Amino acid sequence: MGSTNTSGDLSSEMEVDAFRRLFPLHFHERHLLESIRTDARPLGKARDTSLALGAVASANGSALAKIGCTTMLAAIKMEVMTPTTESPDEGCIVIDFHMPPICSPIVRPGRPAEAAPVVSKQLSDTILSSGMIDLKELSLVSGKAAWMAYLDIYCLDADGALFDAALLSAVAAFSHLEIPVVSLNDDGRVVVVSDEDGGKLDKEAVNKEKRKLKLSSVSFSLTCILHKNYILADPTAEEESIMETLMTVDCVALTRQRVKELQKILNEAISDMEVD
Amino acid sequence: MEFVSPEGLRLDGRRPMEMRQIRAEIGAVSRADGSAVFEMGNTKVIAAVYGPREVQNRSQQINDQALVRCEYSMANFSTGDRMRKPKGDRRSTEISLVIRQTMEACILTHLMPRSQIDIFVQVLQADGGTRSACINAATLALADAGIPMCDLVTSCSAGYLNSTALLDLNYVEDSAGGPDVTVGILPKSEKVTLLQMDAKLPMDTFENVMQLAIEGCKAVATYIREVLLENTKQLEYRRGV
Repeated sequence: MGSTNTSGDLSSEMEVDAFRRLFPLHFHERHLLESIRTDARPLGKARDTSLALGAVASANGSALAKIGCTTMLAAIKMEVMTPTTESPDEGCIVIDFHMPPICSPIVRPGRPAEAAPVVSKQLSDTILSSGMIDLKELSLVSGKAAWMAYLDIYCLDADGALFDAALLSAVAAFSHLEIPVVSLNDDGRVVVVSDEDGGKLDKEAVNKEKRKLKLSSVSFSLTCILHKNYILADPTAEEESIMETLMTVDCVALTRQRVKELQKILNEAISDMEVD
Repeated sequence: MEFVSPEGLRLDGRRPMEMRQIRAEIGAVSRADGSAVFEMGNTKVIAAVYGPREVQNRSQQINDQALVRCEYSMANFSTGDRMRKPKGDRRSTEISLVIRQTMEACILTHLMPRSQIDIFVQVLQADGGTRSACINAATLALADAGIPMCDLVTSCSAGYLNSTALLDLNYVEDSAGGPDVTVGILPKSEKVTLLQMDAKLPMDTFENVMQLAIEGCKAVATYIREVLLENTKQLEYRRGV
């Protein structure tokens, strides 16, 4: 084909960076023919993942997740609210995903990224429908008071696989979450007990000590890209922009391996925190 | 309430003329042209610079210099109570304007006509002095992006409580209602680019407080220069120079 020949001829004369910018698809395809990707990863391998729990000191639970260069900061803040009449024994979780302009050159102030509300909705659905958290655990006084957990996830660097990193940071933040101690005020309102007043507790505490949430069936995800007949796991932003088909949690074999890796990383992070 | 104990210690154990611990890191955001994380005590701020690039709104293009834009926003979890409206409120708009004007004074905009430089600042944790931390982070990010500037801009705040001038107020001292002076200077040329104050002070006390803030700015400038030198050494090392 004419265009392949042109780029083929030019590739011998041009610098690598220039060829990468001008003919990105050919650049990537030349790598795929050798079953390798532009950052020297094999096709099915994900980027280096790391987790840090407790990144934000002022929040009740927080985590910083990095998959390659994609960075997500998740923080949970708890507030007391009155539960609805249909479910007086259940608390509530509100999930919000933000993409501030620092994360990517395509996000402009005043024009939010297209990916932000999409990932936000996907994340909300996944976490609430997977049954990872039992809302009954967030109840304080049946019918009168329950916890509202606000989960805010900020994307600090958008380099592909946003949903994976966001889900990982959300799960990690929930596993780090400690429910604060509260007591009932004289007016019957629930008041958060701060550590300093711990000694002079004349009002009885509703829950005696800070406790952690029990997480069941934790979910992890893997985003993959399909191009011609190659399946690439964990794409970078460059790969996402030039190849069309994007799927999350589709290739079962790759996902199983990835789930094992992620579970191991999460457990290591949690055990590091407990030693402190 | 007592902010300075009789022994001369503040609420967090510092001396009146002592700054909080500062920490800076360059290149935190890989997608940005220049980025930096700046911490002053518990205040943590991340700044990213995109530019010089093509002007996105053609009508705002300036033919003989670069257009500088700035946006300041706070994370929902950055303050004690969760914030409802992290940007677009009056305080954020005011601080965005202040940072833009301060940085515009030192960027050599005439070298990059018809282009745009975007400075985005995100506050991750707020414990007083966010304005100063943002300006310091923006300076580092601009230097990381290689944008020509005539000098660094550093900033620090100072206040006056219990008849003592205090350097680098944290959130508790700031919300005490006493005067709060924020100063931004160009350390080499010894020029002031930003001066803001709340509440009132008699003139001679004001001069002392402002001088204290300027000393704080110079200390920040020394630290920033060290960080930039270290960063340059790393870059040289990686290139094999």
